Amino acid sequence: MESSLRVANIRDYRREPSRAQVACSRCALGELCLPRGLTPDETERFEQIVHRSRPIQPGEHLFRAGDEFRSVASVRTGCFKSYVIDHEGQEQVLGFHLPGEIIGLDAIHSCRHVANVIALDTSAVCGLTFDTVSGMARHMPELQSELFRVMSQRISELETIAGDLSADERIAMFLLSLSDRFSRRGYSEKEFILAMSRRDIASYLRLATETVSRVLARFQKAGVVKVDRKQVRILDMDELKTVARKNQD
Amino acid sequence: MEQLVKFNTALIKRYDVAGPRYTSYPTAVQFMEGFDAETYRRYTTASNNELIPKPLSLYVHLPFCHSLCYYCGCMKKVTRHEEQASRYLELLAREIELQGRLFDHDREVVQLHFGGGTPTYHDDAQLHSLVAELGRHFSLSEDESREFSIEVDPRTVGGERLAHLAAIGFNRISLGVQDIDPKVQAAVNRIQDPEATLAMVAESRRLGFNSVSIDLIYGLPLQTVESFARTIDTVVAARPDRLAVYNYAHLPHIFRAQRMIDAKDIPSPETKLKLMELTIDKLTAHGYVYIGMDHFALPNDELTIAQREGGLQRNFQGYSTRRECDLVGLGVSAIGKVGDCYAQNLKDIPSYESAVAEGRLPIWRGISLTTEDRLRRSVIESIMCHGEVRFERIEANFAIDFHDHFALELSQMKQLEADGLIVMGNDGFNVTPEGRLLLRAIAMLFDEHLQSSQSQPKFSRVI
Repeated sequence: MESSLRVANIRDYRREPSRAQVACSRCALGELCLPRGLTPDETERFEQIVHRSRPIQPGEHLFRAGDEFRSVASVRTGCFKSYVIDHEGQEQVLGFHLPGEIIGLDAIHSCRHVANVIALDTSAVCGLTFDTVSGMARHMPELQSELFRVMSQRISELETIAGDLSADERIAMFLLSLSDRFSRRGYSEKEFILAMSRRDIASYLRLATETVSRVLARFQKAGVVKVDRKQVRILDMDELKTVARKNQD
Repeated sequence: MEQLVKFNTALIKRYDVAGPRYTSYPTAVQFMEGFDAETYRRYTTASNNELIPKPLSLYVHLPFCHSLCYYCGCMKKVTRHEEQASRYLELLAREIELQGRLFDHDREVVQLHFGGGTPTYHDDAQLHSLVAELGRHFSLSEDESREFSIEVDPRTVGGERLAHLAAIGFNRISLGVQDIDPKVQAAVNRIQDPEATLAMVAESRRLGFNSVSIDLIYGLPLQTVESFARTIDTVVAARPDRLAVYNYAHLPHIFRAQRMIDAKDIPSPETKLKLMELTIDKLTAHGYVYIGMDHFALPNDELTIAQREGGLQRNFQGYSTRRECDLVGLGVSAIGKVGDCYAQNLKDIPSYESAVAEGRLPIWRGISLTTEDRLRRSVIESIMCHGEVRFERIEANFAIDFHDHFALELSQMKQLEADGLIVMGNDGFNVTPEGRLLLRAIAMLFDEHLQSSQSQPKFSRVI
């Protein structure tokens, strides 16, 4: 089924010469992406290795599992999903990537991408040749610690999901994580539209699809959230935090 | 809010225009053939992907009849060749399988309706296997709150069959009566014994059916005010939970069956008005609540309660208490409503059957609703179901300013207000007791598609 989908080749934006250059210093994502804490001079050097992609349509792949690792990508707009296919042929969702988040770091150790990455929405990314980034990081301590921060955040996210949590806790934490990520991007922390389907959410949270809907329906009945199609409005943030924290005290 | 209704002959005469019944908006006339199976699939997929997918409502169309009722305007096939009906059921089972694949199985079927034609044309074993087929491809709710209904032709069903229908899983029935006068029955070719029919109401209750509904028609040939008064009195004595009293629209150029009716036997417009007035007077005097359009219900019926609490919605059978369902239409000519679209199946049996035999979804036409359509549907539904429109609610749901957006419609409403159909306030408008018999004339003001289709008289008149 995948063969019918067009693949957005990560090399596309390497071929686009640096005229399509990005000014990280003026990017709306501000410091969400890598160049946090860089000096203006360092930022400028960083900008020279960044390439902007053409729009990527929903259903297009950014990376495929097994692809040779050359670049990482930072989401400019839209939303991506990373997933693997398990030995039974089932799709297992590993994560969702919102603007300002870095995709592709899973490939560092084996030099091949481990996960497939597909756009869920019309999206755009900035590509960074990894050799160059890591080379630069050696001379820019701020960039290096930023890279560590991004990787560490990702590891802790996956460890949380792997933990022994109830369905309610998983969903509450998922909503809070999205709320936090959206609000850091200047969007509402209480009201957002999810690009991913409930099936994707279920796969990511290791829950049955119907459990996601059942728990959300229960949260809705309790007045914690209001759900309309793919839109979520958080009505009682405190209660959501209480539910999410139950297992962590 | 409990709503009153008041008969005003002069007003009804003035607003007696041909208009849609708004069982959907946009109405079926607006459906387009470019809307195909692929488009429909996009909507079913999106409906599964919603965070909390809606439960399902299934409509199954069973078009066969043993004999022709001359007033009929439904999609039906009169035949005594039962192998035709068997073949149809086989292909219907194929469609059920095709459609069942489109919907996630955690989506329960909370509402099921068998309509026709004559669903009870088929025998108990056939109906049983049809429900079993639905159960194989959809998750039928086991909850007692489920509404599984079937239209019953009393001429085909005795007490024993009723018990079978209950055993198959139906918990609601609607009985076609139309008129009990022998002369009227003969003139429309539908002869049935009123006593046996009405005994079925009590028998249905005994068998545990939650709701019994009876259909009547006024304006049939040879009906008089006296004869129809007897029909109503007799029917009301059996105390059905709901009554639908339809206005007979004589459109022989559209419905061939109606050419069998001698036009001179049809009651005059004056008499029809009296029949309508009589219906309203008698039913309300007997404690029935006027829901709207052709529908009446007892005060403790769910329909009446839903209207009081603001939870009523319009559907293809009239009114329904189930707000949040995706509707799957199964069978020839059936209409579904999934997400923001309507989709209708092929309307003749041979092309329906050959599509399904080839494994194709038999979609004929449909429509994708725009935001403007959804906004107007919401206004029209509010008029049809609750006899009022609260601007704030519409504004909140659609991010518009009602006065700006509907400036033209609101200016047109001044005439309706002057005529006493509505009362306009700053925050909304209410339909008056006189206006409640003219709901569609009010709703039509908000129908954006009407101008384009008004040249051809495809709709019946209010009276």
